[in-house]
Amino acid sequence: MLMKLAGGRIHDPANGRDGAVGDLFVRDGRIVADPGPDPGPGATPDEVHDLSGRVVMAGAIDIHSHIAGGKVNIARLLMAEEHRAAAEEPCGCGVGIATPSTHATGCRYARMGYTAAFEPAMLPSNARHAHLEMADIPLIDTGGYLVLGNDDLLLELLASGAGEDAVADYVGFMLNATRSLAVKAVNPGGINAFKYNQRRLDVDENGPFHAITPRRILTALAGAVQRLGIPHPLHLHGFNLGVPGNVEATLDSIAAVDGLRLHLTHVQFHAYGAEGDRKFSSSAARVAEAVNRRPNISVDVGQIMFGQTVTASADTMAQMSNTGLAHPKKWVMMDIECDAGCGVVPFRYRDKAFVNALQWAIGLELFLLIEDPWRIFLTTDHPNGAPFTSYPELIRLLMDRDYRLARMAELHPALPEHTILGSLTREYSLGEIATMTRAAPARILGLSDRGHLGPGAVADITVYTDRPDRRAMFEKPDLVFKDGRLIVRDGVVVSFLQGRTHVVEPAYDAKIESWMARRFDERMGQRLTHFRIAEEEIRGGTGLIRHACQPGPF
Amino acid sequence: MASDRPPPPAVRPVVHRDVVCPFCGLGCDDLTVEEEPPSTLAVRSTDCPVARERFSRTPAAEPPRVAGVPVPLAEAVEAAAAVLAAAQAPLVAGLGTDVDGARAALALAGRLGAVVDHALSDGLYRNLAVLQRTGWIATTLAELRNRCDLLLVAGPDPAVPHPRVFERWVVPAPAFQAPPSREVVFLCGEPLDTTRAALSGFPITVLAGDSARVGDAAAALAAALPDPSRASGAAGIAAGDIAALAERLRTARYAVVAWAAAAFEGPHADLTVERLVRLVRDANRHTRCAGLPLAGHDNVVGVNQVCTWRFGVPLRTSLAGGVARHDPHRFDGARYAAVADAVVWVSSFRPEVPAFPADKAIIALAPPGTAFADEPAVFIPVGTPGIDHAGHVFRSDTVVALRARRLIDRGLPDAATVLTAIAAALPQEASTC
Repeated sequence: MLMKLAGGRIHDPANGRDGAVGDLFVRDGRIVADPGPDPGPGATPDEVHDLSGRVVMAGAIDIHSHIAGGKVNIARLLMAEEHRAAAEEPCGCGVGIATPSTHATGCRYARMGYTAAFEPAMLPSNARHAHLEMADIPLIDTGGYLVLGNDDLLLELLASGAGEDAVADYVGFMLNATRSLAVKAVNPGGINAFKYNQRRLDVDENGPFHAITPRRILTALAGAVQRLGIPHPLHLHGFNLGVPGNVEATLDSIAAVDGLRLHLTHVQFHAYGAEGDRKFSSSAARVAEAVNRRPNISVDVGQIMFGQTVTASADTMAQMSNTGLAHPKKWVMMDIECDAGCGVVPFRYRDKAFVNALQWAIGLELFLLIEDPWRIFLTTDHPNGAPFTSYPELIRLLMDRDYRLARMAELHPALPEHTILGSLTREYSLGEIATMTRAAPARILGLSDRGHLGPGAVADITVYTDRPDRRAMFEKPDLVFKDGRLIVRDGVVVSFLQGRTHVVEPAYDAKIESWMARRFDERMGQRLTHFRIAEEEIRGGTGLIRHACQPGPF
Repeated sequence: MASDRPPPPAVRPVVHRDVVCPFCGLGCDDLTVEEEPPSTLAVRSTDCPVARERFSRTPAAEPPRVAGVPVPLAEAVEAAAAVLAAAQAPLVAGLGTDVDGARAALALAGRLGAVVDHALSDGLYRNLAVLQRTGWIATTLAELRNRCDLLLVAGPDPAVPHPRVFERWVVPAPAFQAPPSREVVFLCGEPLDTTRAALSGFPITVLAGDSARVGDAAAALAAALPDPSRASGAAGIAAGDIAALAERLRTARYAVVAWAAAAFEGPHADLTVERLVRLVRDANRHTRCAGLPLAGHDNVVGVNQVCTWRFGVPLRTSLAGGVARHDPHRFDGARYAAVADAVVWVSSFRPEVPAFPADKAIIALAPPGTAFADEPAVFIPVGTPGIDHAGHVFRSDTVVALRARRLIDRGLPDAATVLTAIAAALPQEASTC
């Protein structure tokens, strides 16, 4: 079947198109080259959508959103009040705002024009659960980033003095076995240290059991990722999350990888100074300057928005220190399977609270000061900073300075003297939004046929009416296509289909498996063969999309 | 002549190694199971009574029945759909099934606007009630195995429901401890003889207080943590013993407090759990300590996970009107059965089913050979995950999911297939969102 999307204003940064009017042709779920003015027999479109005056972009991709896995389900359980009170769509979708059900997650993303979202914290021991859950999220593609860096086996390997090859083999095996797309490190060494009752760990301090420093873990993982040729750089949840003055650790992490590629996630929570009366200040400018100068660094923001949410993280060391701030006053910590952990703490960001207002401003400062939209990504670290459904509001804040200033004026009165936000005049263009939410996420994850509208691309397409109120525009696209099929019209899901699961399968030396098998028998109480997730377990065997790795020296 | 034929080759048992046991939630994946064709299974590698008994029950398939009359599967499915289409207040319960079965059962329940609950969620809810009220600090089985130096077992011995818990998770030497050490304290509960034997190489302390008052003992311990010298006795345990244990908890490197809430006595056993959870939290002011709530026969943990991710709320939820309303009291399956007019009972792990009130229309999915007090309206024999078909089950600690594999083929459908067929046979409605 040939479909023609006629006369839209196409924002497709990957292919150099920034609002030029043109047609798109879709056949069998993919974009095809323009068949030309005289398409000839068999090429007459079976379906035509007149998009005159509308804005056309690829389907949006969320690079960092906690949508599936054990911590998400704990968060759902803990947020029982919200789930009881929430108004819900009467379609059996399930409930929840900060922690929506799988069904609501898929529907709400699709209705905002998103066609993929990635779970950034999949613990090895919980990977099978995460995949089972992701398979129940309809409409969008998914995938998981594997959390390493606090797993006792890796720390043991590093402490034993194993070389870079062995570390890369371990990482390669784990990515294959757990069907992951990327490697994430969460407070490397810190979660492990917390299990030995250490409440903080300096970057150059040996861990309490494995004599290895966080800096060594960080560089080993960043190196292994590069050596294996995994498209996405190491996805780092850095040190001292939320602690005033943590900017030094953030800048130190950038320096530590010494030119290796590194992605700093929810960097808003890692851009804090300790200056001023309240010993809490914005260091967004310092982080932005470092990012602007170093093309090997990318970030996502983890913007906070005001209201009730729940924070869910593997970083038990940081989360335990936040439990006093829980709202409502209940929280869950778990130590998990000699892998990592999980901390779930409900939280309400208040616009009249100075600290929360400054966090909001720091996030926006980062967005506006980091110049290259290919290296900064739009996230709220759902649900940590805010539910993902707040993205349209966030887009409006980035695109509309007057609106931004008006919102700022409603916040804590001391805010203006602590932020340069008021002086920042930048307004994101539609092309920059398309870059940040489509082209760049696809590129940095290695999804070569996603995030753009060139020939061969998967026909994940979103069509908007160009409204001056950018929130309204991005909240409710006119049309959303997934794999060339119309799934949303005017904000209503019109057909259901299942997404896919994106993975990498880097090559590694299988010799590591006998070492792993022995460790699993002796320690994990699980056979390695059962730990490994079979292809047929992913969406019933039809779900995997593999992305190429390009191993090389570093 | 038959006597001229060569003798048939001796039927040798087929040996399945590294078999995953899906029954009690410990996730043992090291079983050796012998199969005598056509379909007799025997566990050879362990004396675990749960594994031995559950794997050994493999009677031959039998046909579905409608009102006691054997019928083809398609006819039974149609009959089930007809019963359910007419129901005003259906209940989808039992829910002893794997992840795929849970998905299908919940989808059917959504179509019917039914109430959903698992047969064994009482024990689960004693824990979930506390999780929802206060949260907790918990751990998982491999952390127990490799890091714990002090295991405090609260209440009745958890080896009763989970026979291999000590053998697999406490006896192996801790790998991530220096120097390795481990001791076990039983609080208000006597260890089984098998537990004592398994732990013969370990220091064991038994504080055999009143098992119905284990919560009091936990509260006394928590109160004594800041200053053990001021401890008071509780639950029949002397103040000196409470003081010594409080001191030990303070100085442990990684203490684990384990309990099996299903075995707690008394009408408000969740309050016992709450006191244990508080003890764990308070101990973390001094050292590291984590709780290990054990539950999980018949994949109750996994089914609850699926329900929570599918609807945003856990089991004991009504889906009437297309809205998920969670109320652990009102939608307790046993309670709701009194007002339900039709019950879909799924029990693919065991042939024991409860007696239902006589006026209910019962659709039962259970293993062949299941005995009913009263013949159900529709009985559809189904296979058991991990025996007749592959299936995902969750371990008790909620983190690890395992895929149990198929061992034999008795020609039985899996619960997911049957439930999906029943949903498809209902009058179709357009789905909207």
